[in-house]
Amino acid sequence: MLRRQFLGWSASVIGAALITPGCRDKQFARVKEPGQPDMVGSHQAGAETFKPLVDEAVVKLLERHSMPIMQASHVAGAEQLPPPPKRICFICVENKSAEEIGDFKEQLYECIDSKILSSQVFQPVSKRFVDAGLRDTRLRPDQLFSPDGQRTFAAYMEQQGQPFDYLLFAKLTSGTTRENKEYQRDYLLTLELVDIRNGQYDKQSAEISKGYHKSRVSRMWNALQ
Amino acid sequence: MNCRPVQRAPALSQNASPGENSPRQRQISRPPAALGLCLAVCLALSGCSTYADRLRDVRAGYFNGDLTFARQTIEENLKKRPKEQDVLRLERAMLELAEGRPQDAERTLREVRDRFDELEQKSLAEGALAMLSDDNANSYAGEDYEKVLMRSMLCISNLLGNGEDAEAYALQTIDKQQQIIDTGTDANGENPKLAYQRVALGAYVHGLLREQTHNAYDDVERANILVCNWQPDFPFGPVDLQRAQAGRHSSPGNGVLYVFTLVGAGPFKVETVEIPSQVAMLIADRILSNNLNQTLPPTIAPIKVPKVVTVANSVSHVAVAVDGRPAGSTATITDIGKLAVQQYDAIYPQVLARAIVRRVVKKGAIYAAKEVTGQEKGTLGGVAFDVAGVVWEATESADTRCWGTLPDKIQVLRIELPAGQRQITLRPQGLGLPGSPASQTVEIADGRNTYLLANFPGTKLVGKVLTSQP
Repeated sequence: MLRRQFLGWSASVIGAALITPGCRDKQFARVKEPGQPDMVGSHQAGAETFKPLVDEAVVKLLERHSMPIMQASHVAGAEQLPPPPKRICFICVENKSAEEIGDFKEQLYECIDSKILSSQVFQPVSKRFVDAGLRDTRLRPDQLFSPDGQRTFAAYMEQQGQPFDYLLFAKLTSGTTRENKEYQRDYLLTLELVDIRNGQYDKQSAEISKGYHKSRVSRMWNALQ
Repeated sequence: MNCRPVQRAPALSQNASPGENSPRQRQISRPPAALGLCLAVCLALSGCSTYADRLRDVRAGYFNGDLTFARQTIEENLKKRPKEQDVLRLERAMLELAEGRPQDAERTLREVRDRFDELEQKSLAEGALAMLSDDNANSYAGEDYEKVLMRSMLCISNLLGNGEDAEAYALQTIDKQQQIIDTGTDANGENPKLAYQRVALGAYVHGLLREQTHNAYDDVERANILVCNWQPDFPFGPVDLQRAQAGRHSSPGNGVLYVFTLVGAGPFKVETVEIPSQVAMLIADRILSNNLNQTLPPTIAPIKVPKVVTVANSVSHVAVAVDGRPAGSTATITDIGKLAVQQYDAIYPQVLARAIVRRVVKKGAIYAAKEVTGQEKGTLGGVAFDVAGVVWEATESADTRCWGTLPDKIQVLRIELPAGQRQITLRPQGLGLPGSPASQTVEIADGRNTYLLANFPGTKLVGKVLTSQP
């Protein structure tokens, strides 16, 4: 009887192992509904950090520059015309933070560019012209601030029918504070607008601080403090 | 000494009535039934030849330039061996690349990449089967270095195709390495994968693609820092870094040619016998057999484990000439042989531990079978079970599945050239005489990158020289 039980049990186990697919699942995905929170990057910044940074920095910059400028006129009753939108050349997003941002970089550029374009406060030059300009002039972005570099680039863009008044740079930086195994990282996105005629500049920043914890308990403890 | 079976089994024997003895005697007198079942199961679960045997022909064909033979061998095995489908498709991808079909190679590699990602989740059924037979019962999910190199080869294939996804593959190469290391911590908190050498090719390709944008020099700098850290002996690393910090992609009117070469025959797995562990286990099972109620099958059958080995590489670098004038030599960006051996050594204790656990499980199963069927120690029935156990253990084969057509090294040379058509000549250089030259015309575009790939497993080109269209 025992032998039969043993053999029966063994056969069942082997049979089950052969028949059942085990615990290997297919990967799956879902489309997030609008308003649902983003996933939070456990090791580095992700959508939860970059999206609000871009929103805040761009809104601040646009607010500052959307002030209507009164046009001076000697003629009484002359119509006040809105100034033409400033033409800006958005050069690049520079990552000077402690993290690799990988595929986010191009997305940051596109997000900022789209928001600026839709605001109608500025009239940005298409990225394709900017890229072609830098390629054909072989200028590095940092060389656009030397008199020769700036002249060459501005002339090239004019030649292409894309004159501009301002250069725009976005820069992502970070600062890290460590506390034993945990750390806090402050992310700062700065938009810098430089007037190419006189070198005057404007800057708007947005900041987000994020804590990285080794365990859920530690995260909760920090949240309570 | 306090093992329960030692106390329980004699008690059962003493309390057994004469009426109960007769069925047991019948059981003892019928060991062939149990034996037959055990043998049938173990023979059904275990194979005879290993992947290494089949790979021998594929490697011989591929590395000697007989791509037709290599292809036939792969196709034949693809039909016969479902558990080796994925790894055979990796071999096929290398063949497709050598034959000048980078899009096909990319498609194949992408399919295997997705499949390996899926197989990273363990299957209980396969795990149980592997314990009863050997690791060949598991679907092959690839060694860590293979998972990373798969993405690197995707990168290269894509650069030679339309190039649209190369940056994504490059980022995946970097991410996958980090992911492998991050998830390498075992139950004791140890992470042997922290010692892994990184594959610099992904970072290198990411850097060269960003440099081509002419405005993302900060990315190029980061990528080149990674290259310098991960492949410190790459001689062009510091030059590339300096250019990223203060230079430019190329002078006006010039473009850049990247010559990639796959050099030497890469690593593969062979079946080896772990003699010290076998001896230790034999001593241990003899001690236990003397003290337990039943004997354990002696560890006579060798404990077979796979080992990653490399072969001597006859090509040290490839000399490149442009329009007949020397332009430089390729240098190693990824030493696959070294990387594979180093990574495998880091996880080898785990491979060995799995082989030993499997033996313990098998011995335990035989022991339990003896107990349940009421075999007496030293009887013919008991000996028959031990023999069955030895045979069961002897049918194990090491899992030698691996990507066997990888090169030993991936090398690269960056050359800035005036735009226009250029004649590129490649000549492998080694310890002996220079190898046979191979030539190819390339189109260099102003301000852009052009890519060229050649395969030199030995001193002769295998397959075609591939170039991208700028």
